[in-house]
Amino acid sequence: MAEQKQIRLKIDDREVTVPAGTLVIEVAKRLGIEVPSFCYYPGLSLQAACRMCLVEVEKAPKLQTACTLVAVDGMVVHTNTEPVRKARRDMLEFLLTNHPLDCPVCDKGGECELQDMTFRYGADSSRFVELKVHQPEEKWSELVYFDMPRCILCFRCVRICDEGMDVKALGVGSRGVYSAIIPNRGDHLECEECGMCIDICPVGALTSGTYRYKTRPWEMKYVATPCAHCSNGCKTTLSVRNNQILRANNRDLSGFNREFLCAKGRFGFDFVSHEARLKFPLVRENGAQKPASWEQAVRIVAERLKAIRDRYGPEAIGVLGSNRTTNEENYLLNRFARATLGTNNVDHHRTADYAGLAAALGEEAPRAMLRMEELREAKAILVIGNEPSYQNPLVAWQIRWAVRNGGARLYIINAQPIKLRRRATCFVQADEAEALRHLASGGGQLSAETRHALQELETEIRKESDVAIVFGAELYAKAIGDLVDFGRQLNGQTRYMALGDYANSRGASDMGLLPEFLPGYERVSDAAARERFGRLWGTELSVVAGLDARAMLNEAGEKIKALYVVGSNPVKTFEVPAEKLARLELLVVQEIFPTETTAVADVVLPAASAYEKEGTFTNTAGDLQMLRKAVDLPGVRSDFDILRILAHQLARLGLGQPFAARTPEEVLEEIRQHVRGYAVSLANLLAGGAEPVHPVLEADPKAYDVPVGAIFSSRDTLFSSGSLTRYLKMVRSVNEARLSYEELRNAK
Amino acid sequence: MELPAQLEARFAELLRRYPRKRSALVPMLLFAQDQFGYLSDALIEEIARRLDLNVLQVTETLAYYSMLRREPAGKYHLQICTNVSCMLRGGYRILEHCQRRLGIGHKQKTPDGRFSLEEVECIGACTGAPALQVNYDYYENMTPERLDILLETLAQGAPPPPPVPHTSGAVHPRHPDEVPVISRRFGIPDSRTLRVYREHDGYRALEKALGMKPEEIIEEVKKSNLRGRGGAGFPAGVKWSFVPKDTDKPKYVIANADESEPGTCKDRPLMEFDPHQLIEGMLIAGFAVGAHQGYIYIRGEYRYVMNILDEAIAEAYAAGLLGKNILGSGFDFDLCTHTGAGAYECGEESALMESLEGKRGYPRIRPPFPALVGLYGCPTVINNVETLSSVPAVILHGGEWYASLGTPKNGGTRLFAISGHVNRPGIYELPMGYNLLKMIDVAGGVANGKKLKAVIPGGSSTPLLKAEECDLAMDFDSLARAGSMLGSGAVIVLDEETCMVDVARRIMRFYAHESCGWCIPCREGTAWLRQMLDRFHAGGGRSEDIPLIGELSQNMLGRTFCPLGDAAAMPTISIVRKWRHEFEEHLKGRCPYKPAEVLAGAD
Ligand SMILES: Cc1cc2nc3c(=O)[nH]c(=O)nc-3n(C[C@H](O)[C@H](O)[C@H](O)COP(=O)(O)O)c2cc1C
Ligand code: SF4
Ligand code: SF4
Ligand code: SF4
Ligand code: SF4
Ligand code: FES
Ligand code: FES
Repeated sequence: MAEQKQIRLKIDDREVTVPAGTLVIEVAKRLGIEVPSFCYYPGLSLQAACRMCLVEVEKAPKLQTACTLVAVDGMVVHTNTEPVRKARRDMLEFLLTNHPLDCPVCDKGGECELQDMTFRYGADSSRFVELKVHQPEEKWSELVYFDMPRCILCFRCVRICDEGMDVKALGVGSRGVYSAIIPNRGDHLECEECGMCIDICPVGALTSGTYRYKTRPWEMKYVATPCAHCSNGCKTTLSVRNNQILRANNRDLSGFNREFLCAKGRFGFDFVSHEARLKFPLVRENGAQKPASWEQAVRIVAERLKAIRDRYGPEAIGVLGSNRTTNEENYLLNRFARATLGTNNVDHHRTADYAGLAAALGEEAPRAMLRMEELREAKAILVIGNEPSYQNPLVAWQIRWAVRNGGARLYIINAQPIKLRRRATCFVQADEAEALRHLASGGGQLSAETRHALQELETEIRKESDVAIVFGAELYAKAIGDLVDFGRQLNGQTRYMALGDYANSRGASDMGLLPEFLPGYERVSDAAARERFGRLWGTELSVVAGLDARAMLNEAGEKIKALYVVGSNPVKTFEVPAEKLARLELLVVQEIFPTETTAVADVVLPAASAYEKEGTFTNTAGDLQMLRKAVDLPGVRSDFDILRILAHQLARLGLGQPFAARTPEEVLEEIRQHVRGYAVSLANLLAGGAEPVHPVLEADPKAYDVPVGAIFSSRDTLFSSGSLTRYLKMVRSVNEARLSYEELRNAK
Repeated sequence: MELPAQLEARFAELLRRYPRKRSALVPMLLFAQDQFGYLSDALIEEIARRLDLNVLQVTETLAYYSMLRREPAGKYHLQICTNVSCMLRGGYRILEHCQRRLGIGHKQKTPDGRFSLEEVECIGACTGAPALQVNYDYYENMTPERLDILLETLAQGAPPPPPVPHTSGAVHPRHPDEVPVISRRFGIPDSRTLRVYREHDGYRALEKALGMKPEEIIEEVKKSNLRGRGGAGFPAGVKWSFVPKDTDKPKYVIANADESEPGTCKDRPLMEFDPHQLIEGMLIAGFAVGAHQGYIYIRGEYRYVMNILDEAIAEAYAAGLLGKNILGSGFDFDLCTHTGAGAYECGEESALMESLEGKRGYPRIRPPFPALVGLYGCPTVINNVETLSSVPAVILHGGEWYASLGTPKNGGTRLFAISGHVNRPGIYELPMGYNLLKMIDVAGGVANGKKLKAVIPGGSSTPLLKAEECDLAMDFDSLARAGSMLGSGAVIVLDEETCMVDVARRIMRFYAHESCGWCIPCREGTAWLRQMLDRFHAGGGRSEDIPLIGELSQNMLGRTFCPLGDAAAMPTISIVRKWRHEFEEHLKGRCPYKPAEVLAGAD
């Protein structure tokens, strides 16, 4: 990047050096000088509408708006002179004329920017005696309400919806003092229901259907933790009162997602307190599931697992892990399977080929991994497959940011006309794997027209350097190899991000919930690796090749006699007939809700959800973050505890060792020491930061392959989250939840 | 959706005019409304579809423009102006009379759907005040009796009486002090045709210019001291010289024909009598800055004027004066009109460009200025109609000649629209720097032998002058020295019986109505002041209101996003300062001047 010119200026008698082109309001912020603002919002287009940020600039004839004023060398700015203070007072006085001043009943009371500013900069009394413009509150959707008189017309909501979300569902109606924000369908909204507009509203004009009139900000505690849904790992701050989550947002901008959350992150927390939650263990007796105590249930599971192992051998047991449990839990489950039970039949629903990417990159992996934060700084982005706007909303948000604020060029190859194409420099509609083959080696089954389009894309992208590549489950195994071959031909450091489905999809893979891999992609076939983990786990590890998920399910009742399922719903995801699972001698399921799979289970163990436990998640980009427990649900146990108790029971029956670690932190410590790529710094994690992990798979990439159909995405939308979907009342309450993917995408 | 063939053709033609489809939005909406009476959901969806917009983008845009409506108006939509010039000559009487006759109020419709009524802001007929429009037709110098006849005829379903043939007061016997330069063809039969224009030096300046170097043209315009006639008085030649020469981007020339500043009605006759003069001026400007496309942004109410322009443009194309290789010079220039749809703010140059791009007329952040980043983000020269119409004379007779007509730094002549309490309201072309008191005499002196109280010297946004301040030269610099502005050259004369509180009230009403709503001080300030002044004038004033009116205006001044806030503040401040006693007299509960007009409820 070209060396940026530095300039010097003075604000309130303090000298400062900043890059040329910086806005005065940002310079002031750097110096810790607050310049009040309503309409200014970093990352969105400039408005200069609210006039709150007026400052005095020497030699300028009148006050200037700091939010649009570009700092120039030698400029002298004053932010706290009497004319400036008076201007602020006057603006607030104007602003309050048509404001209802109903702070005591307003949702925003206590965290309202207008309230704060009036307190800090305003006049004490109003001279306004005329009639205020009045308008009743409007319900725009189940999730978005609008109270027009409180609106100060800062246009933040309009911009976030247009520029930020590329939805354009909000506009301005009428003119002058009658101007009002209007929704796109006359009296209601049809949009992505992200709630960004609510969050960004500085006052209580836009309020959330989940939160309104429930409580006051100072009555809640705040817990910042990664979102429980997709693989992007947004930090959400849960607002909790009386063991109840009342709201989720990220106003403290604490995560790499900064202010961003999609509908699921913002409104999809209510499953936690859904009445259908499993709250006590269930044990099948004479054909029917009956409530049981934890002691009973765990004893039954242990005894029957032991019996089955004794009778059929360890290979008769299969373990299916979860995309939503923590790394620590996945790590323990891996140990549970391979060390305690002695089987390599371990897998999970793989939604992206993380192992394939690690294999293709080899030693390059640590350098070539694209972090979520880096995506928004990228200057050239190639998106292959997936529908980021709906499956990976933060990824799409970051891409839009890069295009809008960084001038990034966006290249897309997709079989579908995905929504991001609207921001693309170049969009090629083609089968992703074929296109990759073509780019890598000139082969591929493509029409002449598509070839030509790809050629153009290639010509352009070869002019770029440091290309950021994100790709979906359409590419796996060899196709990722093709991708990386192509990426290596590009200028600079090409970086990659594979897009999976769920909150810890990446972690499940990294922690070795794959038949052939131990944690950190060390091969089971590698004696040294087996030896190391065996020593750590107090057992010699089996070398017998494990079955993958589909094979285990196919063999249910045949080779596989017992299936241990954690946080997964194979009946639905893998479309196995429930009767088939019913043929198992033992089906144990750890779950938070009844599912198609728990329905046929012999034992169901009620688990804690992501918002009820500690641990870590790795997002799809390899950003490791800590979970913070927000609430407790009596009766349930974390998957971590369940596995610990069970291992303990099995040890008593002479199978395996009890797990010494009592807390997730202790397991994290073990992971940091023994799982390749996870030797991260703890301090940052504990402070709520994200740490990059970069497992390396050194083996010959050609040796890596996965069967067709082993990796597939559930293609969730903004309003679905796998088996959790039906328990997301708020998210499901909106009309848009009933639109098909095509309808959503084509909505204007 | 199936549209009538004529509208279909019009849409197709519109889509060819602009490099970006969305630019066609406002004209499409207005033409569709002309056809169907209002904009139904179905029409909106259809237009959105054709322009690749979402419905919200269309609805929010149309919500901005006061001529566009979502519900049918009457067959005859009466739009009665009550703005200052009309108010001074009985505009409210006309409005009330109409209300009484039809039994309907502002924005209402008679049960039979024949008539609807709207109190409107200045329609650019101030020298024909009081004025009204029936649909697009102008009726000026109205009296209750003439209104009766008009309503009677319309009610009987008879063809309406012919509207005014042209801007009242534009054609009159010349006063000896007048220097007809740009108005010299006013009143000549068929002056708007190419034939007559050519008989009177038409397009000779263009021929000359095409033989000059672009820099030479700009130099000549600089020498002429021609300053912008839209209000700000910026030297035209200097503005042109800011347009970058070495750019790959297309460049544009825009004629600002939005003419909406109350009291101003001089661009209208310039276009209706002499459209080719404007076209020629734009061609020269285009050649000078290297632009190949021009737009005339004309206010929606001036439909008949737009039709005249369109005819003239067609004639010019046919004669090879527009299009490719003009007069064999190798220079290409395309030109078309673009209709607004009711928004004073769209006269502000950057809001105008937003509007021309098919959006709500919000002004833009400046810098960058249009000469660098204007229409479609490209370098753009925007000048007022009168400014551009003066260019042919400058080129033909030379900058020095033109400069010599006026005072130092204020070259040439101006078309002064003199309205209000004068005996002969009209449009007079006088040299820059002409004495204001003498100017009132040119217009026949103060009406009915009354004494002069005040003058609004340059449109309703300029600070008012007391009678004793009026002995001054009407040029940009002299007025600035007197604490006012030459603005758009609209001189509104107020006699001794005028209620200044009422004037302040009416002025604020206008700006509150026209505030685009973008920035807080103007949006809230004008609305607050409007309510206060309404209340005050109606007898509900409090003594603390008087300083407050001044103070709130002061609080807007210099702090708004665009100059509209200043435009609202400046006259108000001057009225409170100079006629404070009249406010105090109102506190006694009555208007000591003429009886308060009933406040017909426009908002
Ligand atoms: C609120 C507002 C309204 C304006 N309306 C007009 C107008 O109707 N016609 C016009 O020529 N200029 C108008 N202007 C001035 C234009 O912004 C611009 O200065 C002018 O078109 C430049 O042309 P000129 O230099 O030839 O005067 C207006 C300015 C403001 C702030
Ligand atoms: S919820 Fe999201 S998509 Fe819907 S209007 Fe608000 S910002 Fe736009
Ligand atoms: S609703 Fe809120 S965010 Fe939107 S313009 Fe009004 S105050 Fe600003
Ligand atoms: S993008 Fe993913 S992680 Fe972020 S809020 Fe939405 S579902 Fe949660
Ligand atoms: S001053 Fe502000 S509200 Fe008024 S017209 Fe200009 S931008 Fe709009
Ligand atoms: S923050 Fe600068 S004008 Fe609103
Ligand atoms: S036409 Fe009525 S004031 Fe101009």
